[in-house]
Amino acid sequence: MPLTQDAVTESVSEVSRQDTIQVRNLRKSIRNGTRTVDILKGIDFNVSHGQFVAIMGSSGSGKSTLLGLLAGLDTPSSGDVILDGQSISYLPEDKLAQVRGRTIGFVFQSYQLIPTLTALENVLLPHELNADSSKSDGLARARTLLTSVGLDDRLDHYPVQLSGGEQQRVALARAFVLRPPIVLADEPTGNLDTVNGAAVLELLLNLNKTEGTTLVLVTHDPVLASYADRVITLRDGLVVSDALNPTPAAL
Amino acid sequence: MPSLSYRSASKIAAREMRSSRGKFFFVILSVAIGVAALTGVRGFSNSFRTTLLMRARSIMAGDLSARTNQQPTPAETEGLTDIQAEGVRMTPVTELLSMASAAKTMDPLLISLKAVDPSNYPFYGTVDLEPAGKLAAVLTSDSVVVADDLLVRLKLNVGDQLKIGNKLFRISSIIVNEPDRLSSSFAAGPRVLISRQGLEESGLLAPGSHAGQRYLFKMPPPPNGSPVSDSAVADLKARLIKLLPESQVTDYRETNPALTAGLDQATSLLSLMSLVALVLGAVGVAMAMRAHLQQRLDTIAIMKSLGAGSGQIIKIYLIQTLLLGLAGGILGVLLGIGVQLAFPYLLQSLINVRPDLHLDTRAIIAGLGAGVLTTLLFTLPPLLDIRSIRPILILRRAVDDEELSLPQKLSQFLKKSRSQISAFLLILGGLAFIASRVSDSASVGKWFTVGLVGVLAVLLLASFIVLKTLKFFLSRTRLHLPSVLRHGLANLYRPGNPSSALLAALGMGVMQIMMVFLMQHAVVKQLQISSAPNLPNLFLVDIANSEVEGMRALLTRARGVTAAPELLPVVSSRIVAIDGAAANEIKTKNFPKHMLRSIQLTWAETPPPGAKVEEGKWWSAAQSTAAGEHPLVAVADFQAKRLNLHIGSTITFAAQDKQFDATVAAFTRSDGQHAYSRAEFILPPKSLAGLPTIWYGGVHVAPAHVSELQRELYAKYPTVTVINVAQALETIRGVVIQIIYVVQFLAAFSIFAGIVILASSIAGTRYRRIREVVVLKTIGATRARIAGIFSIEFAVLGLVAGIVGVFFANVVVNGLLRILTVPSQVEWGWSFGGLILTAALTVATGWIASHRILGQKPLEILREE
Repeated sequence: MPLTQDAVTESVSEVSRQDTIQVRNLRKSIRNGTRTVDILKGIDFNVSHGQFVAIMGSSGSGKSTLLGLLAGLDTPSSGDVILDGQSISYLPEDKLAQVRGRTIGFVFQSYQLIPTLTALENVLLPHELNADSSKSDGLARARTLLTSVGLDDRLDHYPVQLSGGEQQRVALARAFVLRPPIVLADEPTGNLDTVNGAAVLELLLNLNKTEGTTLVLVTHDPVLASYADRVITLRDGLVVSDALNPTPAAL
Repeated sequence: MPSLSYRSASKIAAREMRSSRGKFFFVILSVAIGVAALTGVRGFSNSFRTTLLMRARSIMAGDLSARTNQQPTPAETEGLTDIQAEGVRMTPVTELLSMASAAKTMDPLLISLKAVDPSNYPFYGTVDLEPAGKLAAVLTSDSVVVADDLLVRLKLNVGDQLKIGNKLFRISSIIVNEPDRLSSSFAAGPRVLISRQGLEESGLLAPGSHAGQRYLFKMPPPPNGSPVSDSAVADLKARLIKLLPESQVTDYRETNPALTAGLDQATSLLSLMSLVALVLGAVGVAMAMRAHLQQRLDTIAIMKSLGAGSGQIIKIYLIQTLLLGLAGGILGVLLGIGVQLAFPYLLQSLINVRPDLHLDTRAIIAGLGAGVLTTLLFTLPPLLDIRSIRPILILRRAVDDEELSLPQKLSQFLKKSRSQISAFLLILGGLAFIASRVSDSASVGKWFTVGLVGVLAVLLLASFIVLKTLKFFLSRTRLHLPSVLRHGLANLYRPGNPSSALLAALGMGVMQIMMVFLMQHAVVKQLQISSAPNLPNLFLVDIANSEVEGMRALLTRARGVTAAPELLPVVSSRIVAIDGAAANEIKTKNFPKHMLRSIQLTWAETPPPGAKVEEGKWWSAAQSTAAGEHPLVAVADFQAKRLNLHIGSTITFAAQDKQFDATVAAFTRSDGQHAYSRAEFILPPKSLAGLPTIWYGGVHVAPAHVSELQRELYAKYPTVTVINVAQALETIRGVVIQIIYVVQFLAAFSIFAGIVILASSIAGTRYRRIREVVVLKTIGATRARIAGIFSIEFAVLGLVAGIVGVFFANVVVNGLLRILTVPSQVEWGWSFGGLILTAALTVATGWIASHRILGQKPLEILREE
């Protein structure tokens, strides 16, 4: 799938006003019993608007921790994450929740749908949690998105009634429902077989393109990373390579 | 700020409830059983107490009585008219000694005459007649109702004529018992009941004659159908004491101390049970909700990652909690009503009593309110914990602690504990409120809450210490222990397993259940003594000194006598002065001055049967020997209060021509069920040596042999009056036995409910074990091995909770029994039994709860992940 031209030509290190994500000297240590383990040891990078970045690394490299910090699910030990010009790292919990809801769409490896809600209700949930009450188009948008991922006939099914691929497609629709500027995906095809995985990836990239969002994808799969405009590789809590991909693979 | 609409929040809450009905069923059941115990115990004990108090009133035949031997003054009459205008009913009862004679033979006989208004008397209870009939139908202005010993002595039959005063009356029936026989004055001569008009026409009641006058009062029933409250009776009593200074006013509670003490003990026990039910219900709810929210961690983390604020999530679970509390509350109230409706039928066949049951809407609302409120209160801490659930949970299973500096740690701890402490305070406040509603007393609520906090703190501390000790032991012996035992013990320290909280909850539950059991045991034991079948039921009046030994011999060998006869010497005297103040200057409370002129003294070397020293000390052998020169006296405590006596006061008595000062040594309280219970002033024998004495006696005779003995006594000692209270005593005994049944039933119900609640709390922890079972199974553990590990874990939990709970139950019960003046002793056997039973039940519940998990294939659970 072709990517936007300006994203490819933009310099990686240059900080511009268009940078949707800015990461500044990000560190995270955790206490493990009596030992302190440094998981992230100072990470810096920026992601400009509309870019598709893959973050790669082996198990234990710190990529999931990085994703958690990018999403404001966790607080760093030091450093900063700036989303859309707003520093989010040290916001109070409820403010942070608001940022998450409005700025970020999530796609998880294990779908993380609410088991007691139907597909449609799952997609609608971010809208109910975050949208202003004046916006009443949530339901229509949820239906449209579910239709666009091919689930128009499964709206009222519960997660357990859906296959893994279908569940992940619901999760995709949910991630985009509020038109967030950023979508974060954590091994979105990790739990799926090749065919379903490819289908989900195609939908994700399609939505990313049509919605004009910035996409950060965490994976250890080089094939998956080859679709990205840019690949950042982590090892032992540090960025070991950050390379633009002039010719992203097409599905 | 956008927020989740109530509709969406309710939808999510309701969906969750529907999707895991099984889990929620336990929560609802916990609440329901708690509420059921509360409404059932409370409602039932209320109706039953009303019924029993009605019985107690029938011993006096009214709510209150005022005894005097003077005609009321015009001002007093006016006051009494005012009281009657307010709806209080009043009827006079006149008692006097008189002579009667058979119309044919003119044989004279001393009789104790009692004039009543048959249209009003008695206000409570019935007059038992032979042949059975209504008093109003047989007692007219021309007829009398007589005791059968009169017929025996005068050789008369029903239908014959009896001359009383200057009028002839027809004997229309035989009186077997009248409700207030026990509270009437003990007079010589057979009982004759006469109408008021008949008494007037007999001409006996000349002005200034020595008639005892009693007014019986009955309170108007409150309009809402509830029983007459004790406070209303107390108010009227105070008014009457003020209005009639020369009369002795007593309320129905004072007529039979054993019965009222039994009722009071039973009532205290029943309120205790209500409170215990409340706490157990709350424990059940708290445990269930905590386990429930533990299960919802993932969902909460997902919602947080989708931008939900803690407030929105709390809103969802608050609604859920409310729904659960409401559902449990409704179910509980229904169950409680069911218990109330079903039990009387059961009881009726046993003791032939059917309490009037009115379903009190207030009790129902209170039950429902208590259910919802305790659910809310106890879910507050887990709800507040929602705020600290970190959304990162969805990316990383185990969230490690962050590295924090000490001040940071401290501030975080304070921040977290501040809300927890306020939640805790809120819970206490709420519990105090509910407890004071349940027990109808603010101070009970306060003390209950203070006690609860204390006990909880001690329980937590004890659990903590026990767990620490065990851990120390484990760390020392670790590898020497068999692996199943080691693993089972180590499970107590599983991360995230709130062992000390579970232990405290379990210990609290065991303690409460044990408390109910021990209290019930002690109170029932006490009640059984006061309903013992060998209390005197035949009283003998006016036994001459010379007749005492012969009487004792006759009573000892007579048929049907089941206990040694009690014979009591009486010396007539009067009080001349108290602490130097002359009789007419003494300040008394509700003690007519004229009664100071007829004080009956008795002597005893040791406290007589049925009497207890309440204050001061009974005399020693040395004091008794010296009592000729230094007289001492033990005074019944209620009379001491009326006469404003204190230990060490001096009472100047005059008997015949002798006057002496006696020092008050002790206050006594009698159970009202022995011959000696009538003795209000007891002195050492030496103090009364040489004074003219007559004797009173009491003996228990099997009801079937009463009339036989009566005839024999009459033949041998014609001047001795025999008063038969067998019937009245049977009534009291019946009531006490009823109290015993009720107490036992409700205790059993509370204990059962408690066990179910605790079992479901234990069962609630099973979800935490699922993952562990999977891991164990995948590495090849057999079911038997896993079951073994769990058994050890549960057995230790049960034993520790049992030790802590049983110990504190004994401590608390000891204190409570002391307050209720019930003798107490440590019940080692029951305590040990309780301990073993707790451990056995814990293991059994653990097994049952884990059974399903054990049977599951590892993959089924791994798939669910």
